Amino acid sequence: MSADEAGQWQPARSGRWPDSERTRRRLRRLAIGAGLAGYCWVAGGTAPFSAKALLSVLLPGAVVAVIAYGRGPERIQPPDSLDITGFSYWIVVLGALFEWEASAFRDNSASWHPSLTKLVDPLIAPHPVKSLAFLLWLLAGWGLVRR
Amino acid sequence: MITRIITVIGFVIVIGAIGSLELVARRPTNKIPTIGQWLGYLMRGRAGRVLILLGWLWLGWHYFAR
Repeated sequence: MSADEAGQWQPARSGRWPDSERTRRRLRRLAIGAGLAGYCWVAGGTAPFSAKALLSVLLPGAVVAVIAYGRGPERIQPPDSLDITGFSYWIVVLGALFEWEASAFRDNSASWHPSLTKLVDPLIAPHPVKSLAFLLWLLAGWGLVRR
Repeated sequence: MITRIITVIGFVIVIGAIGSLELVARRPTNKIPTIGQWLGYLMRGRAGRVLILLGWLWLGWHYFAR
């Protein structure tokens, strides 16, 4: 690759991408965004316990697995150490969440002590809300493979 | 009915605490790690990485496939 060709793929000295490259990147982002939105809309419309619903989850799972196993995107550098005191706050809060959920699961009474799933399911039942939740789940997966 | 309300309030408090903790952790002078930081720390090794990604997949299956 010549120096001129290489220059097309790098920001100019001003720190800005050349116009053609910027347009290409913008179009690429638009295409990815439209593809994701379409996929989430279709996935959000699948019936629970159906093969389509299962596939709609497994497919991004497989993609994430391939990305995570192979050469993924540029990763965000993790911290070398964690402050134990600071992290203990998270353990307390997450422990409380799991304890509350486990007690609901043990009681097995949707009307008296509903689990988080029983409370969330009706909230994400409408198609647009479920599609949006699906998109958030996909973005969380993307965020995880970058770690 | 009252137990249901108490349960919902419990979940709201805990989820609110998670959100608040993340906001506090994002303040520059704080020693509390953000969710991204501690997840990144746990995902440094292959086992942690696989477990966290499996957790993510389980979450998707739990809420969207069933």
